[in-house]
Amino acid sequence: MFEHLFAGFTAAFTLGNLAALFAGSLVGIVVGILPGLGPMVGMVVLLPFSFSFAPEIALSLLLGVFCGGYFGGGIPAVLMRMPGVPSSLITSFDGYPLTQQGQAQTALSATLLGSLGGGVISVAVLVFLAPILAHVAASFGPPEYLAAGTFGVVLVIMAFRNRLFEGLLLLGLGFWFSTVGIDGATLSQRFTFGTLVIQNGLDIVPICLGLFGVGQTLLLVERKILQTQEMHLSRSTLDFSKLIPLFRYWKTLIRSGLIGTLIGLLPGTGSILASFMSYDAAKRFSPEKHLFGKGTPEGCIASEAGNNAVPAGAMIPLLTLGIPGDAISAVLLGVFTINGIYPGPLLLVKEPVLINTLYWSMLLINIVCFGMLALWLRPFSLIVKVPGKLLAVSIMAVSIVGIYAVNTRMFDACVAVVMGVLGYILLRMEWPIVNLVMGVVLGDIMENRLRQTLSLGDGGLGILFERPITLFILIGTLLVIVVPLIMDYRKARRLAESSPP
Amino acid sequence: MPDIKRLSSRTHDLLGAALGLFALVMLISSPWQVDTTGPDPFYKGPLIFPLSVLSMMILASLPFWRRLLMPPPGARWHLDGQGVPWRTLKVLGLLTFFLAGLVGVGLEIATPGFLLAALWVVEERSKVRLVMIPVCVTLVLWIFFKWLLDVWFPMPLLFVPFSG
Repeated sequence: MFEHLFAGFTAAFTLGNLAALFAGSLVGIVVGILPGLGPMVGMVVLLPFSFSFAPEIALSLLLGVFCGGYFGGGIPAVLMRMPGVPSSLITSFDGYPLTQQGQAQTALSATLLGSLGGGVISVAVLVFLAPILAHVAASFGPPEYLAAGTFGVVLVIMAFRNRLFEGLLLLGLGFWFSTVGIDGATLSQRFTFGTLVIQNGLDIVPICLGLFGVGQTLLLVERKILQTQEMHLSRSTLDFSKLIPLFRYWKTLIRSGLIGTLIGLLPGTGSILASFMSYDAAKRFSPEKHLFGKGTPEGCIASEAGNNAVPAGAMIPLLTLGIPGDAISAVLLGVFTINGIYPGPLLLVKEPVLINTLYWSMLLINIVCFGMLALWLRPFSLIVKVPGKLLAVSIMAVSIVGIYAVNTRMFDACVAVVMGVLGYILLRMEWPIVNLVMGVVLGDIMENRLRQTLSLGDGGLGILFERPITLFILIGTLLVIVVPLIMDYRKARRLAESSPP
Repeated sequence: MPDIKRLSSRTHDLLGAALGLFALVMLISSPWQVDTTGPDPFYKGPLIFPLSVLSMMILASLPFWRRLLMPPPGARWHLDGQGVPWRTLKVLGLLTFFLAGLVGVGLEIATPGFLLAALWVVEERSKVRLVMIPVCVTLVLWIFFKWLLDVWFPMPLLFVPFSG
């Protein structure tokens, strides 16, 4: 084990890997700071560039964007109450009041410490938990994978249960997209409409690039990025003297990091929930409850540790089961498979050096992001003033050319534009776009496992109830459906009782 | 918790119903769209999963159909109540021309052309930006994709007659 850890350490410190994680972190921080973009847009724009690199370098580049995005998102939230990424909204609850009180450096120190702590804790949990989960998953057969996939799908649906029918429609559409082209098992043509170009199917990359790279930027064309000209920053670097006293919140840091990792582990839940639950827990356990919402560094630490723990948490089901927990992990899955690497329980056995490189890279990315932001705080903060419309049209051009470059197919670029239009409409209507992406990603996994399970069960699904692991997962799935519904019902009843007749 | 803005938008209902209709058409035409000539039993074949997901889509679209046919009081046609996105539609039109331009006139002409027009549409009037952004972005794309990554781009259709 230690030899792999050392080999991974050596690989992580190669010049190429260091350059990739620096570049990725830089792009991630920039897109994180700019409200309306976020790590997903950064990742899909860099995706075509990453395909020419070795897998560990490509993953470092994209993971840099993933983690850097969450680091960057907290900066405008603290300075201007304008979250760069949605989950940083919670950081602004306490960060902005601190800024207004002239304590921007304290708030930023807390934000960066929380981000770093959450990231490091989640990587530690990933290193500890991944082999255990992989060991359990090694005994998985098709029924267990089908049950796990169903659990993930149900979690995604329940996460957006206030838009249940929209979510189901988009999930179904995503599943259907995954069936277009040649069926891998029988080599039958499906929904190709007699054309040759659709036989290769609809790739996840143009779909994601279209939905996020084009759709999100179309939205930016009509919405201004900068809402305010306020910027309260006393010096151009982080004031490190403000950092030391914040270590007294170490319990909050660890708790929030663990909560964020666990939430990241669950498919479809997302970083907003991680941020909110960490903040809520910090508030419950804090002796300074009354300061929450009025400006306490503890709130910033909790929120940022929670959302920064999500990337490593999301890697756990991806690496051990091959099931991505969110759209960003789905893009990472694409990087693995394009390089001929198939995540799953055997990945840790087959590619130990790659996995250990990934662990070290994630750790380094967190340190690099912290260092970059601490040293270049003012230049990064000024990025928020770049006009969004200029970025939007430039990103569109880069996305379209990039998507063509992946397979040198103009068809992919056309798919990206169509998906961009769909993404734009869905974003404006606030439909759960993540369901569509999850459908495309999980469709292939679910279909193969369903057909294999039906084959094992002679055409029936009764086999799912005969195996202890599947039974356990199915009970979990049932709880995921029932518990939120009961909670919603109780909440509605309480509201009805408290409102005047 | 029902979302009032969403429930009052007939455009939401139209999109939901259209997706349901699309699923219905695919479901009905699936015996012709999916090659089922293989020897596999139905549960191992290529049709079971598409049929399941299309059925799920049709069922999920029923509330949208109901609201589309019997609109609730106050329902009207809007995307999100923030007006018609004319500027976005213009940029989208330019994006379509950009795709055609990549095939017709090539990366080096289509990219700056698209960026210049799109920047004008988004009301960028600084002459320096109108020149610098298209030039810089085209240069970056050319350096990365053509020079560094050696990505193959087809010969622009406009230049084919002159290529000998």
